[in-house]
Amino acid sequence: MKTVQFSVTSRLVGDAAVIYPKGYLNNLSGESLVKECGIYIGKGITKIVVNFSETDLINSIGISLLLQIIEDLKNIKGTICCTNMSKFLQDTFEMLGLIQYMVVFPVESDALQYLKVGKV
Amino acid sequence: MSAELKKALYNISALADLGQAITSESVFHEKIQSVFYVITGTFLANRGAILSYDKSADRLITVTQKGFPPADLDRVDPEKLMSLGKNEPFLIGDSPVLAIAGVKILAPLWVRDEFIGVLLLSGKLTGSPYTQEDLELLNVIAHQIAIALNNHSLFMDLSDKLEENRRLYEEMRHIYHGTLQAFAAAIDAKDAYTQNHSYRVAKYSTAIARELGWNEHDIEGMYVAGYLHDVGKLAISNDLLNKVTPFTPEERAEIRKHSTTSHNITSKIKFPWQNVQDMVWHHHERLDGCGYPEALAQESLSDGVRILSLADSFDAMTSQRPYRKKMDVQTAITELKKCLESQFDNKIMLVFCKVLEKEIKGELPEPDILPYLDRDSDLSVISSMLEAIIQELSAP
Ligand SMILES: [Fe+2]
Ligand SMILES: [Fe+2]
Repeated sequence: MKTVQFSVTSRLVGDAAVIYPKGYLNNLSGESLVKECGIYIGKGITKIVVNFSETDLINSIGISLLLQIIEDLKNIKGTICCTNMSKFLQDTFEMLGLIQYMVVFPVESDALQYLKVGKV
Repeated sequence: MSAELKKALYNISALADLGQAITSESVFHEKIQSVFYVITGTFLANRGAILSYDKSADRLITVTQKGFPPADLDRVDPEKLMSLGKNEPFLIGDSPVLAIAGVKILAPLWVRDEFIGVLLLSGKLTGSPYTQEDLELLNVIAHQIAIALNNHSLFMDLSDKLEENRRLYEEMRHIYHGTLQAFAAAIDAKDAYTQNHSYRVAKYSTAIARELGWNEHDIEGMYVAGYLHDVGKLAISNDLLNKVTPFTPEERAEIRKHSTTSHNITSKIKFPWQNVQDMVWHHHERLDGCGYPEALAQESLSDGVRILSLADSFDAMTSQRPYRKKMDVQTAITELKKCLESQFDNKIMLVFCKVLEKEIKGELPEPDILPYLDRDSDLSVISSMLEAIIQELSAP
C-alpha cells in the first residue's frame, strides 16, 4: 500500500497549540501526533486545534491515537478543536460518536477565534 | 448511507487494518502495538491490554496495555480464563472472573487446544454498550491475535533453543581449544627447540586452507590437526628429542613412530571435524611414496595432509634445531620448491606462496605466517621470489 510518511508540525497561537498532522493516520508513525499534543499539555496548554488540511484519511489505528488525545484533554478539562476536515474524516468521527468530544470548525482561524473569545 | 452500513464498513476496514498489522514486516512489539491500536480504535476503548500466557511459569505476561495498573494485570489468574469459551468475548458484568477495575469485556485467546493469553478492554469512550456485532467482530479479532501471539512464541522457543545450542557449541569449542593448548604446551615443554612449532604449523596450515577456499568448519579442523600433529612426540624421551649428534637408525625409527602415536592419541578423541586423525597420521608422507609411516603416495594423500606436510616442513626448516641452524626464508622456499612433486604438492605450494605474497603486500588484515618469520628477512627479495614461483606454477 502506498502511504505518505506521516509527520507532524505545530505552533503556538496565544494560549492555544495548533497541530498540523500530515499524511495518512494509519500506523505507528501516528504516535507522533499524540506525543506532540502531550508536549503542549505537559506545558500546561489546555486548548488544542488540530488542523486536518493535510490528512484526508484515518483508520482504526488513527482513531485509537485520537482517542488518547481526547482522553488526555478530558482529564485536564481541556478543549480540542478540529478544523479543515475532509468529508471522510467528519463522517467517520460522526459515525463513531467522537464528534461530541470535539468542537468542529471549517477553518483554523474560526477555531482560534472561538478559543480566544468563546464564540466565532 | 445508513449509520449501520457506515459502521459495518468501518468494522470491515478495521479487520483489514488488523490483517495488515499482523502480516507487516515490523518487529513483534511494533506489530502487536499496531494490533492493539486497531482494537482500541475499533471499539473506542480507552483502556485495554493484551496478555500472553507463559506456560512454564503458569502466569500471564503483559505484552502491551494502556490504562490499567500493572500490578492488577500481574494478578490475573489464568485458570479462571481457561474455563471460558475459546476466543469467545465475555462481558464481565458482575462476574468474579477478573478483579480489575474498568475491564468491561475480555476474550480468552486460544489456538486449537492451546491457551495463548487474553485480551482485555474497558468500556467505550462514548459510554455506549458492546453490541452483538461488536462481540462477533471481537471473536474474529481474538482468533487472529491468538494465532499471531502463538506464532511469535513458537518462534521464540525455537530461537531460545538455537541460542542454547550455539552456546553449548561455543563452550565445547572453548574446551577443545583449551585442551589443544595444554597438549601443545606439553610438547613444547619436552622439546625446547620446537617451541611453538605446533602453534605455527596450525597457523600456516589454516592460512593455506583459507586461501584454498575451505569453509570455516574445515579450517578449524585443519587448525586442530596442525596443533596436534606432533602430539605423539610426548611418548619420545627428552634425551632423544634434544639429541645434538646425528640419530642412529634405531633412533630414527623411534622418532618416526611419533606420527602413528599422534594418530593413536587423537583417535581416542571424538572430534567434530573429519580427517584430523588422517592429517595427523600422514603428515610425514610424501607424494612419491617415500614417506612414513605407511608410504602412501599421490591420490592417497588428502589436501589436508599435503597442506600439513608443507607447513610442517617449512616451519621445521625456518626454526633452529639441536643438530642444525635455522634456514633463512628464501632458502627454505627454495628447498620446498626443489621437493615439489616428489614431496610437496604443486597446488599447495602455489597457494602457500600466494598467501605469503599477500601478507607481505599487506593485503590480508590478519597475517598468519609473516609475524613468525625471521625479522631480518628481506621481504622485497622474498616477494620477488614468490612472484616468480607463482608465475611458474600458474602456467598451464
Ligand atoms: Fe612430525
Ligand atoms: Fe612437526
